[in-house]
Amino acid sequence: MWWKILSVVLLVYVFLTGLLVPLKSGIETVEPAAAHTGREITIRFYGYNTFFEKSAESPIRVWLYYDSQYALSASSFTVVNDTILDARFNMPVNLPEGKQTVYLNAIIDHPIAGASLLPAAIELNQDSSGMVAGLPLDAAWTTTPVETLHLQKGFSFPYQNVIYESIRNTYFHVPMWFVLLFLFCASVWYSLLYLANPSDSSIIRKLKVAGRTLTYMVPAGQENDRRAAAYAETGLLFGILGLLTGMIWANYTWGKPWSNDIKQLMTAVALLIYLAYFILRSSFDEPEKSARLAAVYNIFAFASLIPLLYIVPRMFASLHPGATGNPAFGTQDLDNTMRAVFYPAIIGWTLLGFWIANLRIRYQRLFDRAMDLH
Amino acid sequence: MKKYKAYRLITFIVFLAISLPAALAEGNRDFMRETGKINVVVAVILVIFLGIVWYLFRLERKLTKLEHQTKDDQ
Amino acid sequence: MSKGYFSKWTNLPLPALFMNWKILFPLLRKEFVLEFRQRYAISGIVLYVFSMVFVVYIASIRVAPPVWNVLFWLIVLFASINAVVKSFVQESGARQLYYYQIADPVTLVLAKVIYNTILLLVLGTLAFAAYSLVAGNPVKDLPLFGLVLLLGSLGFSIAFTFIASIAAKANNSATLMAILSFPVILPILLTLVRLSAIALRLIQDTSYTRDIINLLAIDAILISLTFVLFPYIWRD
Repeated sequence: MWWKILSVVLLVYVFLTGLLVPLKSGIETVEPAAAHTGREITIRFYGYNTFFEKSAESPIRVWLYYDSQYALSASSFTVVNDTILDARFNMPVNLPEGKQTVYLNAIIDHPIAGASLLPAAIELNQDSSGMVAGLPLDAAWTTTPVETLHLQKGFSFPYQNVIYESIRNTYFHVPMWFVLLFLFCASVWYSLLYLANPSDSSIIRKLKVAGRTLTYMVPAGQENDRRAAAYAETGLLFGILGLLTGMIWANYTWGKPWSNDIKQLMTAVALLIYLAYFILRSSFDEPEKSARLAAVYNIFAFASLIPLLYIVPRMFASLHPGATGNPAFGTQDLDNTMRAVFYPAIIGWTLLGFWIANLRIRYQRLFDRAMDLH
Repeated sequence: MKKYKAYRLITFIVFLAISLPAALAEGNRDFMRETGKINVVVAVILVIFLGIVWYLFRLERKLTKLEHQTKDDQ
Repeated sequence: MSKGYFSKWTNLPLPALFMNWKILFPLLRKEFVLEFRQRYAISGIVLYVFSMVFVVYIASIRVAPPVWNVLFWLIVLFASINAVVKSFVQESGARQLYYYQIADPVTLVLAKVIYNTILLLVLGTLAFAAYSLVAGNPVKDLPLFGLVLLLGSLGFSIAFTFIASIAAKANNSATLMAILSFPVILPILLTLVRLSAIALRLIQDTSYTRDIINLLAIDAILISLTFVLFPYIWRD
């Protein structure tokens, strides 16, 4: 019972924090996206979740950033509203390292909202008319290095371009994959137990009915087979949900619902295995034969799924974070605030999955007993 | 009769879940992309919720059937 | 979970992993003799391969190498399924009972796997010859391609023999065979297509030994699972 309550508590926490905690400030886009050297230019910054008008003890600072050595600071800026800021830059005459084109990252540092960065925001081209060979690099590149950036205080999720608010799907879509994995593992475990002990002894169970305790015996094999089937069925449910939600999310971030990603392929193959598993179960008349062969197929197919983890990454590049078949996230994809929601989400959803599977097992137990009565 | 009604309700919900985002997306091409793609999260949660509810409905239907069968026996 | 489960677990009747080598060769010979006695079965499969190659030929006369590669493995895949599916169906219950008495299941399944590997290798070579005749031969690295064909026959043979033994217990075994074997065969098939693409010089990759090791590892996993699990299927 306690774990069902835990599941509800965790999921309530996940839904509340996952949906209510704001995103960090970010730069959505800049205009124009290209500039030439040696000119003065006004660049308009469009912020996301920013509050430029909210002033603080120290001013906002704006940079165009090439690397830790070279950065350009805005000469002046005007705040249009909370999310739009116009900054003027005096573009230097020469580019660092004698390059023809460099991509500059945009950085806005707000004392309260913290620093936000847009990678490769501006394409800066060498103006051929203004280029002077052998001229030393402009001092503008190095006079104001990027330093003492502020951090946003309080609980917030990272801002990422393209993903935006849909980063919250980490707590709803991603755990489906974990639930599927745990449920299928449980299914294989009970298949193993079934094969180890198909029919011999019985498990004693106690049932409380109207204050009285009834004791009844369940053949161990039958119970294990029931569990294997129920966990597989519930795993199938969560697998389908994970695949569907993944396709929705992928459509709006990667541009298309299906892209031969390892996780998509693995899930699809796992679903195929368990669909085949249920077809196999239903194609025998004798329950003992059906249970035995289904258990054998369950173990065989599940084990043959593991090599895919090593093979698919050699053929298709993964779009998922933490690529090369690693189900975990890379450190830059999951910061500590996200972890504080993500791990409870995995536990909460998994417990919910096992709860539903438990209902399915109990139904099957009742059904089998009713069939024996006939 | 009751069972039939429940079935129709589920079909309706599933139909709604599929057609509503599509209809909204048609009216406003960027419905799913506006306000920081928050509607993608809404759609994902909706799919998960409806999926689990559909499974529980199915389980309940099976249980009802079993209840009727065991009632006949006694 | 009660403590009882674990004490039961230790009582697992592990199948005899030591096979009887003496009985292996008679069993293997039996497979060949049986095949030659019922010549219609093998000629049926050969005809099947030729018809598929012919269909490819009349559907598209000139095939680009990437298409050639995929089509070739599809032909081999379907021919293999059809060749292996009969290996447990064709023998009667009484005869199976006889084998049950004279041989242990591990030896029996090993004989079937070896026989099917040889059969599939012959079929694959035939398909390659016929296919090269009608659709051209884009293979640049013939030794590698031969190795891939050998490894492919081995992998297909292990996976299909095991699945065929499950499917044979059901009535509609041919359909079941296709459904059950697809997810199991997918890792092997993907690696085979990649390796033969290297043999066709469609991909420049010098580190293909990794793929060969992968393939061997899959074969090792599948054959050990077959040895452990087959006795549970056989027992009827």
